[in-house]
Amino acid sequence: MIAPQGLRAWQPSDSARRWRVPAAARLTRLELRHNAMPLLLPLAIAIFGVFTYSKTLGMPPLWNVRAANTQSGLVADFVTPVAGAAAWMGSREARRRVTDLLETVARPRFARLLASWAATSSWAVAGCLLCLAAVYWATSLRASWGGPLWWPAAVAVASMPAFAALGFGAGVLVPSRFTAPVAAIAAFFVVALSTELIAGSQSYWQVSPIVSAAWDVGPDPGVATFYPYLPDLSIAQLMFLAGLTVAVVAAATGLPRASGPRRLRVVAAAAATAGLLTAGAAVGLTGTGTLDAHGMIAIPALHDAADDRPLQFTPVCSRTAIPVCLNPAYAADLQAAASALGPVLSEITGLPGAPVRVIQSATTYRQGPGNEVSISLAGPVVSGTPAVYRLLMPDQLGGPQLSPGQLRDALRAGTDPSVIASVVGDGPGASAAQRAVAAALLLAAREPYRALATGTASGVRAPGTPVPGSVPSRRRRVAAAGAGLIPAPVLQAALRFRALPASVRRAWLVRNLGALRAGRIVLARLP
Amino acid sequence: MSYDRLAGRRGAAAVRPCSARLHTRPAPAGTRLAWLYLVSRRALAAAAVIAVCAAGLRMALIAHWDAYGALQLPLVFETVAAAAVTACSASPFGEPERVTVRKLPWLRLSIALALSAVAAVALAAAGAGAHLSGGTLDVVRNVLGIAGLGLLCAAAAGASVAWAGPTTYLVVGVYALYTQWHGPALTTPWVWPARPPHDVGAALCAGLVFVTGTVVISVRGARDPSGERG
Repeated sequence: MIAPQGLRAWQPSDSARRWRVPAAARLTRLELRHNAMPLLLPLAIAIFGVFTYSKTLGMPPLWNVRAANTQSGLVADFVTPVAGAAAWMGSREARRRVTDLLETVARPRFARLLASWAATSSWAVAGCLLCLAAVYWATSLRASWGGPLWWPAAVAVASMPAFAALGFGAGVLVPSRFTAPVAAIAAFFVVALSTELIAGSQSYWQVSPIVSAAWDVGPDPGVATFYPYLPDLSIAQLMFLAGLTVAVVAAATGLPRASGPRRLRVVAAAAATAGLLTAGAAVGLTGTGTLDAHGMIAIPALHDAADDRPLQFTPVCSRTAIPVCLNPAYAADLQAAASALGPVLSEITGLPGAPVRVIQSATTYRQGPGNEVSISLAGPVVSGTPAVYRLLMPDQLGGPQLSPGQLRDALRAGTDPSVIASVVGDGPGASAAQRAVAAALLLAAREPYRALATGTASGVRAPGTPVPGSVPSRRRRVAAAGAGLIPAPVLQAALRFRALPASVRRAWLVRNLGALRAGRIVLARLP
Repeated sequence: MSYDRLAGRRGAAAVRPCSARLHTRPAPAGTRLAWLYLVSRRALAAAAVIAVCAAGLRMALIAHWDAYGALQLPLVFETVAAAAVTACSASPFGEPERVTVRKLPWLRLSIALALSAVAAVALAAAGAGAHLSGGTLDVVRNVLGIAGLGLLCAAAAGASVAWAGPTTYLVVGVYALYTQWHGPALTTPWVWPARPPHDVGAALCAGLVFVTGTVVISVRGARDPSGERG
């Protein structure tokens, strides 16, 4: 039988048959075109641009700092529009009173809803990737070392389908004109204020995707600079987000009786259960995490011991008499560090026991009671033979970012006295002669003398409480302002010693530094 | 089964035939119009949302919050209440209603003012006697300002997505509050949630937005939903 021409005209051509798009893809394409998310995406991107992007670009060009801040910012900026738009899309069939009508179409309800959620998620992920690309591209232009961190980016991206699932589920279950705003704000409330419940490093609430680093430490320049970025928390967060997404999407789209055949609903129930178990396991794992010595959350079950090995790098060094060497990530700070330390280093160059090199070192982190974290230099200030002075840059100790001028001042106030002290033995319990020589050398380097309070260990307690007697520390400068007053005889001896020609001073130090350091020289013996 | 039994305990009087109801005196047309308008805008549901908000705020204030939470928490509830006011601007009828209803601007104005007042009073009452950051003045200013913003969005973009205005402003407000600790602080009066309760500039800005929003929504109504996405 020959078909009429009119019917034959409807047959797809060979090429069309070859490139035929599956019905699910066509449905998703329709949903992409009629989705509410593109309307809200500019708002989300604008908020990201005004707040997160500008703030991130104001941070030091360190990948770890910027990636962590971008993750938190993206989550906070996108949660409201994504959850709201998804709730609006989820409630569409009921709002438009077409639920019964759509029961008659070929595609089951499950497929229709899934396509709608997928379209909303796709728009959100696209917007998120755009923002991430902007930050990472801008960072790549300025970062002097290291590469992009993908774990924080993955958590931010994975948050979008999860937020869309939560909003979508709310829209499907409670279709109302109030659902979208309430879902949007509730999602923001949960994400933003869940951090209130974090206490210490062993907190289940750190599974929230807004947490991009140990919450009490935050995006800290000292983290993931000397040691690899620990992905433990990110892996737990990804597990949680994936489980949550699967559970909510399966429950909202596949469980209701009208969703499709019984077999489909059984599969949906199994998926929802598996998703819930995964999310629960992720929460449980997060609760076992602890703050490790390098300032990151280590989760024993997810931890790779290889991540505990320090990163290999070639330091960037200054051309001063005693080279000042920094981690290449801090290359931008080298000039400020060299100009701050240079005068003092030239005073001690060549003296017996003086450091041959000043090298930036890693910090160590220790969880204190509650939300307190102490940050200090890992190991002694001076180590090795010949001696190497181990330097902490001020921003490794937490606190606000410093301009080059502020950085110079902080180093002069904190590190210069410490360098001199490491040579002459100044510090708590030092003799009057040691104090006088230290003061004289600082004055000769045109630095104001500040007495060292105690010890030589350095550190502060985050978020800013000074560790008593820590050296060098920005806080110590305040604490030592009153302690800078030295007795008149010591000051007179210091002024006298400083007034000597540099060569005479140096010759005396070369001869007597060992005895001075041992405390065997009294003030009267100073020239 | 007898007719009386079907009627339940109240007896046959409860299931009077239609003819009996037809003889009762109908409510005045104005009252019926207002009632129908309230029902069509889901005003009662909005009032319920506002009541839940107030109850939620009251319960949340019982808990201990640090400085961030204490400042940001009321703003979250204020935004939900304001979004509920905004959602009531959506008309299910569109053009036919605009053509046939004569006192529509007054009805719109009344519902906007009434719901805004309910929201402000409910949240202020919820915070009475508790440690509510900013106090009553802050609540009233924020609720009215954000409601005005939502009404403006409804007039400009349609009531279906008008909630995006208040929710976006929530993020801006929360960020501005955050900058009070982590400078540089946002001090513009247009971000009134971050300003102190007695700040005149912030109150003026919020008031201006509320008045503008109310006037615009009263005169123009929410934008037609035809061709909307979603």
